[in-house]
Amino acid sequence: MHTRTAKLALALLGATLLAGPALAQETIKIGVTQPLTGAFAASGNYVAQGARIAETEINAAGGVLGKKIQLVVEDNKSNPTEAVATVEKLIVRDKVPVIMGAWSSTLTLAVMPKLQEYKVPMVVETSSSGKITTSGNPYIFRISPTSEMEAVAFKPLVPKLAIKKADFLNTNNDFGIGSAAEYSKMLKAQGVAVGVMETMDPKATDFSAQLTRIKASGGDTLFVTTAVEQVTLILKQAKELQLNTRIITTGGSNSPDQLIAQAGDAANGSFHTVFFPPWFPEVVTNPEPAKRYMDEWKKRGHEPGGLTEGFRGYDGIYTIVEAIKIAGKAEPAAIKDALWKTKVKGIYGNIAFIKQGPAGSESGQNIPSVYLVKIDGGKVVKSGL
Amino acid sequence: MDQLLQHALNAMILGGTYALLGIGLTLIFGIMRVVNFTHGELYAFGAYMMYMWVMLIGANFVVSIALAVALGVLLGAGIEILLLRRLRGADIDTTMLVMIGAWIAMQNTEQLVWSGVAKSIDSPFPSAPLVMGGVSVSWTRLFVFAVAVMLIAGTWVLIQKTRLGKAMRATFQDREAAALMGVRIDRVHTATFAIGSGLAAAAGALLGPVFVVYPTIGDLASLKAFAIVILGGLGSIPGATIGGFILAFMEELGAGYVSSGYRDAMGFLLIIVILLVKPTGLFARKERIG
Amino acid sequence: MSRAVTLAWVVFLFTLPLWMDNLYFLHVLIMAGIFIVAAMSLNLLLGYTGQLSLGHVAFFGIGAYVSSLCSLGFEIHVFDVPVGLAPKPVWLSMIVAVVFAGLCGWMIGKISFKVRGAYFVIVSVSFAEVTRLVALNWLELTQGPMALNNIPFLKLWLPGIGDIDVLGKMPNYYLVLVVAVVTYVIIRRLVHSRAGRAMIALRENEPLATSVGIDVTRFLVLATVVSAALAGLAGAVYAQYVRIVDPDVFLFIYTVTMVIMVVTGGKGTLAGPIVGGLIFGILPELLRGFEVQPEIQWVVYGVLMILIVYFLPEGIVPAVRDGWRRVGGRSGAPPAQPAPATPAGATPATAEASP
Repeated sequence: MHTRTAKLALALLGATLLAGPALAQETIKIGVTQPLTGAFAASGNYVAQGARIAETEINAAGGVLGKKIQLVVEDNKSNPTEAVATVEKLIVRDKVPVIMGAWSSTLTLAVMPKLQEYKVPMVVETSSSGKITTSGNPYIFRISPTSEMEAVAFKPLVPKLAIKKADFLNTNNDFGIGSAAEYSKMLKAQGVAVGVMETMDPKATDFSAQLTRIKASGGDTLFVTTAVEQVTLILKQAKELQLNTRIITTGGSNSPDQLIAQAGDAANGSFHTVFFPPWFPEVVTNPEPAKRYMDEWKKRGHEPGGLTEGFRGYDGIYTIVEAIKIAGKAEPAAIKDALWKTKVKGIYGNIAFIKQGPAGSESGQNIPSVYLVKIDGGKVVKSGL
Repeated sequence: MDQLLQHALNAMILGGTYALLGIGLTLIFGIMRVVNFTHGELYAFGAYMMYMWVMLIGANFVVSIALAVALGVLLGAGIEILLLRRLRGADIDTTMLVMIGAWIAMQNTEQLVWSGVAKSIDSPFPSAPLVMGGVSVSWTRLFVFAVAVMLIAGTWVLIQKTRLGKAMRATFQDREAAALMGVRIDRVHTATFAIGSGLAAAAGALLGPVFVVYPTIGDLASLKAFAIVILGGLGSIPGATIGGFILAFMEELGAGYVSSGYRDAMGFLLIIVILLVKPTGLFARKERIG
Repeated sequence: MSRAVTLAWVVFLFTLPLWMDNLYFLHVLIMAGIFIVAAMSLNLLLGYTGQLSLGHVAFFGIGAYVSSLCSLGFEIHVFDVPVGLAPKPVWLSMIVAVVFAGLCGWMIGKISFKVRGAYFVIVSVSFAEVTRLVALNWLELTQGPMALNNIPFLKLWLPGIGDIDVLGKMPNYYLVLVVAVVTYVIIRRLVHSRAGRAMIALRENEPLATSVGIDVTRFLVLATVVSAALAGLAGAVYAQYVRIVDPDVFLFIYTVTMVIMVVTGGKGTLAGPIVGGLIFGILPELLRGFEVQPEIQWVVYGVLMILIVYFLPEGIVPAVRDGWRRVGGRSGAPPAQPAPATPAGATPATAEASP
């Protein structure tokens, strides 16, 4: 019996060994880890689509260092352990010199030790948790704003909107908890009372219990932090429960157009922070790349609701390619050093990295613009930021 | 007080669909002795069919529900004829493994066909809710509740009043005796599995427009259906109905007054306790098997 | 002869990293090895006592969480009183994890005496789901969906070699290999002992076993405790290798993966889970070469599982063994009982008689 088993196992192992090594490398590979399935699937797919647009544009313009770039996109399934596995695969199997990812703060925080272990830099295109750039990981370069930056940018609006008492509903992950902490800190400093702070699992779909409690709390404003899927349901269910408070979503992954399409008139009257307002592209710092990106997005027939998310991937890939150009070679250490010198006229604004975190092992952080928009009568309008 | 009333109303509405899910599963177990791991996938199938008819084809909302249920019935009949018929008489573990295999294959097929991005289904009802004093409920949910109650009643009538129902009850009580009396067991099994599947698909088609539809929604539906039938006792239809409402009330009140995070845990904790105290569930008449 | 081949196989596995420089493939083998240990432990319940435990991943996850929490340290508040634990060495944490998982096994074993069949299956599924929900919601202890990150790796001292950091592919490969061999030996000794024979008697005919004086509860509990402790060990090894644990470690799909490994390889055989584990641990990576989407791979798994239950109900190992004997194995032993023609016939031990 042992003999047969052993032979079978040996045959299997042999077959596997033969199927091993990859083809010779003629392109420069860039790793991308995004949630293409699971709780954050909509946003992750948008970011990947934006990254693909950048890939096509860059290759049409001749690539970088005389080679074409090739994105290796892995699905991290909205799960931190899977995110680590994708980074392991990208670095060990595909040998990518640089990565873009991983959308949610929890996913990004999960993969950070791997970046340090293999000494590969990563451009963070979405995550907002402060911990990412303050924990002393020198391989992190974030182009998206932190929750703190967002809260500070929001400050002037507190008196304008006459917020007296705020309640919170956020996912119980780094993104939601981090955002609620920064916003409540800022609001308290402004003399605003904070009512209930409700949390939800990122996969939850029924919020009736939380919303009923929020209704009982009686605040005038509800801050919601989660991805667009849950925002849609919260708007609908809030309306069903006659929760008549002002709803403000934070974090920029709220895709207002998608909310209008899917939540209908339940979306009316809600406010949303976004980091790129495709409804008024003239207000952004660099209208030229914004227009190019929007045209291509439309041409490819992607969801219009994804415009506010896809640009993150677009900017991320441009940032990486610029760094490779400055580095002069596609090697992790050189790209990491080059990222400090990288300046890109992106949709996030003029992308450049300042140092954050403990001295000696700082992470890079970009300072992007923040916009607040309102949904009114089924349309997105400016709200004075 | 309003808060309590609102929680109770939410629970009532949710309980209707839970009962629907539970009845389908308990029917299949009671008559066929099959722990149906594909139950949640039929729920997901119903929801996706609803999405297809309403959002892609543009069919009428009510017609779409009927179509989704009919397709669920057909799929269920197909599964029974293709996979389970040849396993009749096999032990419970064997059929369970086959059903697990079918569950994995079905769920991943859904993911392939519909992608991992959540879909939402438009409801034709006004989004302004029905307000009664301090509590309110959406018209969509009210409609869902009404249809669920009708389907539960319909199933009850079918089992109590029709020839097929008589054959099903006979098979439930004693399969061999029923066969000797001329009941065609194969047909009863196919019909049972088809009806149970149709009920799961109905629950999916009804809740799809209330929430969102994504490939793994069936997992939680399956687990909840398990909890419901254990509460009520495997094979008991009134038990599954009451079990559905008990679970909904436990979840809603637990989430409202204890912790919203443990909402989904309530049912499972309860069944572990019940099984330790009264292993046959609250309402089972038939003795436990094994 | 057989012993020599086993030995050659072990030597092959022990020297593999020395001539194989594909780190990614080592990673695949490490993960497969961890799942093989878990599958071997499940086989003790599923294959030897005949209890279809579908909550096995709970023990694996508990092992992973307990060992991570001990090595990271934690502080929680019980009625506002802080209760904490300072970080402990990883080896100690792993032992605590094994003991804790074993205790949970004892508890479930006690329940399994009360309910059988479908009820036991659903209780075991529910148990795993409750552990998942606790891990997801007890933020103070487990960090919930934020996962336990930066879990310390194992540090060992070996005579003649000195201190070793079990970090990176090669040391982890050897760690997993040693754990797998130890698990194999433990299970082998157990099933060949008096207790093991009692378990098998139990599986074949419980009323008969009881009537000849076998203490059913005692052996069921023993099997569950050993099985749970070994699954906990696999979880602890997993946690210190991937160095991150999140509540999805308790997902039902991982139990299913283990069940598929055991059933495919052959439940109730020592080699079954290893063969099944190698197939299902390595197959996904082979399929990747053909650009197969993961969903297709899982559809294939599901269909394969159904086909195996129909056509190879005893699993690969017994089928190959019987097949070999029939074509005239060397020993000239009498042919084994003919392979059952129908799935129904494949389960002679079933209590429910079919007409």
